[in-house]
Amino acid sequence: MLFLLNYSDFLINGFITTVQVTLIGVGLGMILGILAALGDIYGGKIIKIIVNIYVEFFRGSPLIAQLFLIYFTLPALTGIRLDVITAGYLTLALNSGAYQKGYLKGAMEAVFKDQFLAALSLGLPLRKILMYVVVPQALRIVIPAWSNELASMAKSTTALIVIGVREFLNTGVSIVAQTFKPLETYLFITIVYFIWIYSMLKILDIVYDRVKIPGLEPVI
Amino acid sequence: MNVLECRDLTKIYGKVVAVKNVSLGIGKGQTKVIFGPSGSGKSTLLRCLGLLEKPTSGTIYFNGIDVYTTKQDLNKLRAKIGFVFQEPSLFRHLTALGNVVLGLKHVLGYSEDEARRKAMEALKLVKMEDWANYYPAQLSGGQQQRVGIARAIAMDPEIILFDEPTAALDVELKWEVISVMKDLADRGTTMLVATHELRFAKEVADEMIFMDQGEIIEIGTPEQFFRSPMTERARKFMAKLLG
Repeated sequence: MLFLLNYSDFLINGFITTVQVTLIGVGLGMILGILAALGDIYGGKIIKIIVNIYVEFFRGSPLIAQLFLIYFTLPALTGIRLDVITAGYLTLALNSGAYQKGYLKGAMEAVFKDQFLAALSLGLPLRKILMYVVVPQALRIVIPAWSNELASMAKSTTALIVIGVREFLNTGVSIVAQTFKPLETYLFITIVYFIWIYSMLKILDIVYDRVKIPGLEPVI
Repeated sequence: MNVLECRDLTKIYGKVVAVKNVSLGIGKGQTKVIFGPSGSGKSTLLRCLGLLEKPTSGTIYFNGIDVYTTKQDLNKLRAKIGFVFQEPSLFRHLTALGNVVLGLKHVLGYSEDEARRKAMEALKLVKMEDWANYYPAQLSGGQQQRVGIARAIAMDPEIILFDEPTAALDVELKWEVISVMKDLADRGTTMLVATHELRFAKEVADEMIFMDQGEIIEIGTPEQFFRSPMTERARKFMAKLLG
């Protein structure tokens, strides 16, 4: 496996790209997910319909098809041309947001109505009720579901290979093309993925334990 | 002038008339008790008076000002009307202290230090200062209710509405909550209390209001109700409560 050392810069760059798209995808997805969940719970009819069309569409179609759609079809329709990495961020964020909306909505609804009324009775405006009462509880409840999303998103980034993003798996493919050593290369790549994802999940477990509050265990 | 008053208040959910043409007022320093069978509209009435639900028709006055037609800032008024719920409804992610601090800081604009000091005072009043750093799930139902009361009184409201605060508690825990409420009444707090605790009503109520099926059936002093209610329905219900 030592021949891989010759490609260390190449591999490191690929790995960094993978980490970046994962974190940005999940991070933006979380913002989208929170907004979509709030829209679905507190929004009017039209907002609810828009949210549900978005969620069903991105949950109900393949990620690779979504990538093609945003990278090839969107520019053809709108004239806006995205570079591969931006198209990658955008697709992963939209995809992840659709899933996270489901987890977050469940968690927000688990923050019972009595909490909302109690906050209202103190005179807190809606924005502050969400900020100080609903969201902090919902985020704690959602962490376990969110770990799954992070792991799944980390793996989904490999799909970016189809539009030519130089992510970690793609660097492996290039190395194999040059060295004809698929066995060692892919073994190495897979092990790195595993160690990385496994440690992220462990870290989230620790975070979950840290912020855990008696009486606020996950209900989903 | 009454602190809080409603005139011809009606609340309809779909086809159910929960409260029907209710008029009542609570003057400064008064304690009034509402009682009546479950489903008689007490909770709905209190929620309307607490500005947590909008009445279908009728008028609510806060210090003589018509709340809805003059388009008052509801959040400002809600801050002046304390509310204690039937189910202990503490914020589960905050400690007892954090629960009391939240409104002081984010509604009344106290600094963190001031809010904490004021919150500790309120917790002392309900004898919960030793539990300040415990989370709701670590407290008994009675303790949670006392923190709920502290959360309401810390805001220095002009009136506190209690929606059967002891109904969800075991007998042993009821009294610790009731004694806190009695203290408040003795200190001249303006209170409207929905409760079936007749001993509490007898000792502190200026007036008792009997409701059934969304309507006020009878209003009178505790003596009147304990001696001989005027209406048949009130008489039957009193007999049931007194066993």
